[in-house]
Amino acid sequence: MRNQRLLILLLLVTYVFSPTIYDWAINPEGAWYRPFIIWALLIVAAYLFQGRSNRNEL
Amino acid sequence: MSFEISDIALLGTGYLLILFGIAYCAEKGWIPKRISEHPVTYILSLGIFASAWAFYGVVDLAYQYGYGALAYYLGTGAVFLFAPMVIKPLAQLVKRFQITSLTDLLVFRYHSQTAGAIAAVCMLAAVLPLLALQIQAVTETLHILTSGSSSSSEISGYTGMPFRTVMALCYCILLAAFTILFGSSREKHNGLRVAMAFESLIKLAALLTAGFVALYGVFDGFDGLDQWLTQNPENLELLYSPIKAGESHTLLLVFLATAVAMPHVFHMSTIEAPAKNISSTLTWAFPLFLLLMALPIFPLLWAGIELGSPLSPQYFTLGVPMQMGLPILTLFIFVGGLSAATGAIVSISLSLSTMLLNQLVLPAVHLSRKRDLYRQVLWFRRVLIILIFICGYSFYKLLNNSLSLTDLALMTFIEALQFIPGIFAIAYWPSANSRGLIVGLTLGTLIWTAGLLLPALTDIQSLGILPIGVEYWDTITLLSISINIAAFIGFSMLTTTSTEERYSAELCAEDELSQPLRTILNVHTAEDFTDRLSVILGGRTADREVKRALEELNLGPKERRPYALRQLRDRIEANLSSLIGTSLASEIMDEHIPYQLPEGGGTSDINLIESRLAQYRSHLSGLAAELDNLRLYHRNTLEELPMAAVSLGHDMEILMWNQAMAQLTTIDSDSVLGSHLDDLEQPWRDLLNAFSQSPNTHLHKQQVDQAHSTRWISLHKANIVGPAANSTDGQVILLEDITDIQRLEQELVHSERLASIGRLSAGVAHEIGNPVTGIACLAQNLRYDTKNEDAIETADMILSQTDRIGRIVQSLVSFSHTGQQNKDDFILLSVRDCASEAVQLLSLQKDKNPVIFDLRLDQGLAVMGDPQRLIQVFINLLSNARDASPQGGTIIIDGQTSTQWVEIFVEDNGSGIPLEHQEKVLEPFFTSKEPGEGTGLGLSMVHSIIEEHDGQIQLTSPLPNKDNGTRVTIKLPLVPISQSNT
Repeated sequence: MRNQRLLILLLLVTYVFSPTIYDWAINPEGAWYRPFIIWALLIVAAYLFQGRSNRNEL
Repeated sequence: MSFEISDIALLGTGYLLILFGIAYCAEKGWIPKRISEHPVTYILSLGIFASAWAFYGVVDLAYQYGYGALAYYLGTGAVFLFAPMVIKPLAQLVKRFQITSLTDLLVFRYHSQTAGAIAAVCMLAAVLPLLALQIQAVTETLHILTSGSSSSSEISGYTGMPFRTVMALCYCILLAAFTILFGSSREKHNGLRVAMAFESLIKLAALLTAGFVALYGVFDGFDGLDQWLTQNPENLELLYSPIKAGESHTLLLVFLATAVAMPHVFHMSTIEAPAKNISSTLTWAFPLFLLLMALPIFPLLWAGIELGSPLSPQYFTLGVPMQMGLPILTLFIFVGGLSAATGAIVSISLSLSTMLLNQLVLPAVHLSRKRDLYRQVLWFRRVLIILIFICGYSFYKLLNNSLSLTDLALMTFIEALQFIPGIFAIAYWPSANSRGLIVGLTLGTLIWTAGLLLPALTDIQSLGILPIGVEYWDTITLLSISINIAAFIGFSMLTTTSTEERYSAELCAEDELSQPLRTILNVHTAEDFTDRLSVILGGRTADREVKRALEELNLGPKERRPYALRQLRDRIEANLSSLIGTSLASEIMDEHIPYQLPEGGGTSDINLIESRLAQYRSHLSGLAAELDNLRLYHRNTLEELPMAAVSLGHDMEILMWNQAMAQLTTIDSDSVLGSHLDDLEQPWRDLLNAFSQSPNTHLHKQQVDQAHSTRWISLHKANIVGPAANSTDGQVILLEDITDIQRLEQELVHSERLASIGRLSAGVAHEIGNPVTGIACLAQNLRYDTKNEDAIETADMILSQTDRIGRIVQSLVSFSHTGQQNKDDFILLSVRDCASEAVQLLSLQKDKNPVIFDLRLDQGLAVMGDPQRLIQVFINLLSNARDASPQGGTIIIDGQTSTQWVEIFVEDNGSGIPLEHQEKVLEPFFTSKEPGEGTGLGLSMVHSIIEEHDGQIQLTSPLPNKDNGTRVTIKLPLVPISQSNT
């Protein structure tokens, strides 16, 4: 149940911020590897989240 | 730069042999488990997802779609990022029901053989372009590397076939051999998994090295690249402009499908998944792997452009090091590409062979019962693997390199996308049905065939209004998936779903706590399973499968409990489905060991719900957790109820057996739960059976003869109200153990009889008294009337004897009196008189052990009390002492006065009372005498009489400084002097 709620929250946040993030990532002025930075941040977030949920289950 | 074909062939073969070696070592267990079963190995083995297309073709995708190429990784990454929601439910199902392929999962969920067959055919059509892609990538790169060498043309000349065809054929033959050796067995393929992890590692290393060399060898690092991009803005523009066209969004949709629907990725992510749950590690580790694979793409593309590589962008990965003149790196990249293609081909052919075997071959052919089923299945699988390789190779030949790697990949992924609605509905939409799946999948596939497959194989350029050809992939994708989804939803909602399908849908739905119905099997023992299955599977296979399932469930071959038999049936079906596929396994089981719904409506399978809830407890939160606590509370109340309770289902299956019941019957609840009442041990079987079927709700005082004792039990029952109105959901029976009460009643009857004899004896005494008085008078007269010495002596003797008769009669009369119950009526009495009265009465029992009563009590020892009851006390104590004493032994009756008490001792030198009995001797019904000898009430009566007199009783055994003997000390309150004088 907790997971579902988090998923909905995550989708909402993604929906709200996606235009900003998208514009920032593909801004021709910026470095070409910007999308990779966002991706890496997402991986870090997933890592932190799974670490926390594992502790909760213990 | 050109290489000799012999060198390349040697390198390629050498690499494949290393892969063989690793697989072999892992299969034999020579690679330590901490490596072969490490999560990293599993994550890397998932890397088969990145086939030769991810190694070569993605650079071309980047060239065409700029950042849109990242969709390939992001789409898949997103699926794994949400692995607990997307992959975990499927993996759990696969594990629980031993499902071996994606189509088997679909058959299991939609309960339709047709759906399975259609899905298998569609899947075969979907992966053919991907297989051709791998073969094409390997042969093309081989051709690029050896294009200048003379040996390649020699080979063509020698075989009469083009060089590429020869290479493709050799490659396919080698891989088919590898797949058959390591992947066709039934067990989990540890060797294959480790080998696939190794190939992922090689291709990742090769791609990263290529990217690194491109970045630092061509551009002098990030700054150099930035500078180059500033100078060549058209290359930077390549990144951004295509994604504005909207095609890249469709790309994301297409690639979303690859992670779940591609048979080989599904196989690795769910079926070969290790027992330990690592889905949470998967959420970040696999996207990280994809990130590393994606990093070198753009530097490689730009390096290729900068170096002016003559190759098409799809081979820039190889072209860049070649152009830079780095032979070793070029060969390493080639091995990386070979590795990527190999991993994909092996895993695709393997998973596809399972699908085709289970959905098309096994349902169509009749397996011979006389031969080993396992060997037959193994051979079918081997033949299928070879057929798949032939199909892949033929498809490659048919296309004849006319399509780019990207075109081939898109073809595969767009068809795989057609499976997505059906797959997502497995866990998240229980109303979906097989008709919706069949119609949706068929329509989607038809549009794909017409739009992409036909134009690729034939010269057809247009098909009415439908734009066809791979250049319209975007439109075809959206059209096919939209129609597919619409048909899937529409048909699912408009058509009816069969009961079996609804049952499967409930099993698959994420909500695992749905109420399962308790169905009935018409088999009664585990042995019946073997008999029934041997009809179709053959005796040996049936025996092996039943034994295996019994072992896995820790059940014995004599198992008779319906609950256990249902578990056994499900386990055998799961095991069979891993061997011959879900559809055939369920068909066999449905035919030979069918489930039946119980008459009069289904009953919930309480045991199954309980065991599932117990496993699921830690996941419950909020209201569900509170409801579960409530459930536990009520359950514990019933479990701990100090009265034996058992609840039965409609079909007389035992659903609850509480602790008191286990104690009463000495039958453990674990061994009896879920079993039929008829399988219960005697005498409980008959008792409960008769009562549960009788119309009475109470049954009093039933005698139950157990091995060592006899019990009396009262039974009460009530119907359990079912969820529907006026329905019952079985019954609950309470067993009340009234053994103690029954014994007390018997004792009461006995003492009542004794009391009546007492009353009778009083009358008898009276009747005897009159003639005796007459005799005494006559003797007296005789004494006075005669002078004869002999006659006087005789008269004296008669008088003394009648006196004795009088005393005996008097004792009997006084003993038969009830005595005083009220303390106010207590009188001052001499203890010695009471004791002597008791001694006199006991001496009448001539048949008992002759002993000497040594009465040492002082005549002045007086207490307040009821003489009759005190005599009773002495009789009980003295008779106990007499029974314990040896023949001719002495029993001492002594007394003394202390400050508060009059203490009376009864001491014998008998066997004594064992320590463990000393605490119990005062309890009612405790006796160490033979049955019929003692009632077990004597000492308890003494205890209660002494308590009524405000006294105390103590036991000392053995006697101080002795090994035997018992002393009973009675303390009675000392009578104040003033009172004693009155």
